[in-house]
Amino acid sequence: MLSLRSVTKRYGTLTALDDISLEIARGEFFGLLGPNGAGKSTLMSLVAGLRAPNAGTLALDGTPLTTTDPAGRAALGLVPQQIALYQELSAEQNLHIFGSLYGLRGPTLRARIDEALAAVQLTERHRHPVKTFSGGMQRRLNLAAALLHRPKLLLCDEPTVGVDPQSRNAIFEYLERLNRDGLTIIYSTHYMEEATRLCSRIAIIDHGKIHALGTLDELLTRLPFVDEIAFPVSPATAAFAAALAAHGDLSDSTDDIHRFRPRADFKLSAFYALAETHAVPARVFSHQRPTLEAVFLHLTGRRIRE
Amino acid sequence: MRILLTLLAKDFAILRRNRGALVVSLLVPMLIIYIVGLVFGLGRTDSGPTGIPLAVVNQSNNPAAQILVTALQSQKSFRVLTKFVNPDKTTRPLAEADLRPMIRDRQFSYALVIPRDVISDDRIGLRLKILSDPRNDIESQMVNGLLQKTIFSNVPQLLGQSLQARAKKYLGDPADDAFNQAIVRDIVATFGGNPDVILANIRNGDFGFSQLGKRLHSSPTAAGSSTNADDDVLSRLVSLETEQVVGKDVKSPTATRIVGGYAVMFLLFALSASATAFFDEQNAGLFQRLLSSPVSRGQLLWSRFLYGVLFGLIQLVALFFAGHLLYGVDVFGHLGGLIVICASVAAACTGFGMLIAAITRSPQAASSLATLLTITMSACGGAWFPISFMPEFMQHIAKFTIVYWAIEGFNAVLWAGETFTQLLPILGILLGTTVAVMTIAVWRFNGSKIFE
Repeated sequence: MLSLRSVTKRYGTLTALDDISLEIARGEFFGLLGPNGAGKSTLMSLVAGLRAPNAGTLALDGTPLTTTDPAGRAALGLVPQQIALYQELSAEQNLHIFGSLYGLRGPTLRARIDEALAAVQLTERHRHPVKTFSGGMQRRLNLAAALLHRPKLLLCDEPTVGVDPQSRNAIFEYLERLNRDGLTIIYSTHYMEEATRLCSRIAIIDHGKIHALGTLDELLTRLPFVDEIAFPVSPATAAFAAALAAHGDLSDSTDDIHRFRPRADFKLSAFYALAETHAVPARVFSHQRPTLEAVFLHLTGRRIRE
Repeated sequence: MRILLTLLAKDFAILRRNRGALVVSLLVPMLIIYIVGLVFGLGRTDSGPTGIPLAVVNQSNNPAAQILVTALQSQKSFRVLTKFVNPDKTTRPLAEADLRPMIRDRQFSYALVIPRDVISDDRIGLRLKILSDPRNDIESQMVNGLLQKTIFSNVPQLLGQSLQARAKKYLGDPADDAFNQAIVRDIVATFGGNPDVILANIRNGDFGFSQLGKRLHSSPTAAGSSTNADDDVLSRLVSLETEQVVGKDVKSPTATRIVGGYAVMFLLFALSASATAFFDEQNAGLFQRLLSSPVSRGQLLWSRFLYGVLFGLIQLVALFFAGHLLYGVDVFGHLGGLIVICASVAAACTGFGMLIAAITRSPQAASSLATLLTITMSACGGAWFPISFMPEFMQHIAKFTIVYWAIEGFNAVLWAGETFTQLLPILGILLGTTVAVMTIAVWRFNGSKIFE
């Protein structure tokens, strides 16, 4: 559905996107993960037609996406990171304006506005100025405004920033329902749990390049991570730890925890047999699976980005 | 105390970072003080108006009349025009018949005619004629005062000759001569002096009016007011026939000028404020939302431009209607022309507001620059006081301001009742300004990140 071919975007000497190629299929819920300055927003703005690439092409269903062809953007819906609404106007007036820009008129527009307000649970407040809404209500309306024209592709740029848990959940449920109904969604976020919950496929982007791309399971299995067993550093576990070193990677950590990653041929039964031999009770062990956050930090590093 | 100092330091640190606030709080008032000071003659070796165009037609052969022309030419208040420039660039002396069309054509607003019978044995004193387009009340009063002062100060001999001619007509030559001889005898008996010199002076019209002129010249009330006895005497001896060429039927000329000047100033403020809304929409992500829809940058810019023009048109027309209700400004007699000129002014002002948004990088910077330029343009352009009160270089600057041409346009419609064809030069300047500033604005917007 959405195709990016060798897309490069530079700002002066800074390369924000470096030869990115990507295919997103119809009906996908595609997650875009990356630290600050990784290139996520640039990628979103290129797809939305707000900026033009220095090289490469973008196409939606075979139609090129450009900054100079507004008609080509009619199939897109953008939920900006900011609350992109006219604060002095009512929810209804905002939706009327944005719907009209997509050519909706008369009863059709009226019906879409009612439908959108109901979907984001703002029907009762439809005549109130947006500036009187809570942050969560504004976020929900921000989402509704991008959906009036029933786009084929919805671009969500961190749409839940500063939202209370209830509104966040309402947004998630609404997006999940839209995706089930066939809407393709690109979802940019910092929150791993959001990507884990929502996205069928995830790209981890940093320094303008895609470092990993796949389903959550693919990301977890393709990367050099295996299950990890942790147990406390103590005199009682010292001999056991020494014995384990021959069967995998054992690391001491600063928080007095041993982390053991077994070699592929070292069975869990053998691990527990060895523990029993050294009189280490099973209750001290905790078994951990790698998380998306671990993958993310592994790929993008722990250095704080500005 | 430490907390107080910390909070104080915080406020100054913020102020230092906010260059816009510094501009508004320091630079703008300094500029206003400078301009108002110039108007009131502070820091200038000479004060009062400068370079007001004054056409002079001298029909008299009397040498003293030429002295008056020369005196007017030496006045820095006036730029004396005595030649008519033909289309082929050749020149000839101005004739009285040239004056009225040229005044209507705004080539100058004041003209002095020294008639062939500047002095006559039919009356006492001089007869001079002033033709004017007093579209600016204050300037007009000032010009009349300056003309009288110049006449009184520089042509006392003409007054004396006038008295002599009148006396000769009524008394006849012998009686008049006897009368002069009697005066000479009395003067010599009372004050002394050479009787032959005194008689020659009297016959030549020199009655010492020049001393009155000098006293008048040094009087602080000399600029047009008639509050002292010398002035009163001289004003009775000089018959200034005045003819208002333009705006004879206008009921409220002062209000016409004031409403126009202030209306355009507040329009500039309003449209500059709307320019900062560009940044608000950018910061709110509204441009992203709009430009990701089937809306082009051009549509976004031109819709804003049209909004500004319509808003400005409504504001200007509403203010003129207020002027009509409050001060009787004649709006309905010139409604068509007024709407055309208001729309042109609104377009130029909107373009100005958009240019401000295009060349600045933040709402604070836009607001500060807009305040600075609006106040400067209003002060220099004649919204507050006639531009002739300013030094000549400021008068040249004035012609590069929207405010100046807006006021010219309003005056042309409401004061002079000009037709659409006559308005074309002013409309051309206003619309040309609009095209120029919008071209720069669109070019800057296309290169800026405000839409990204």
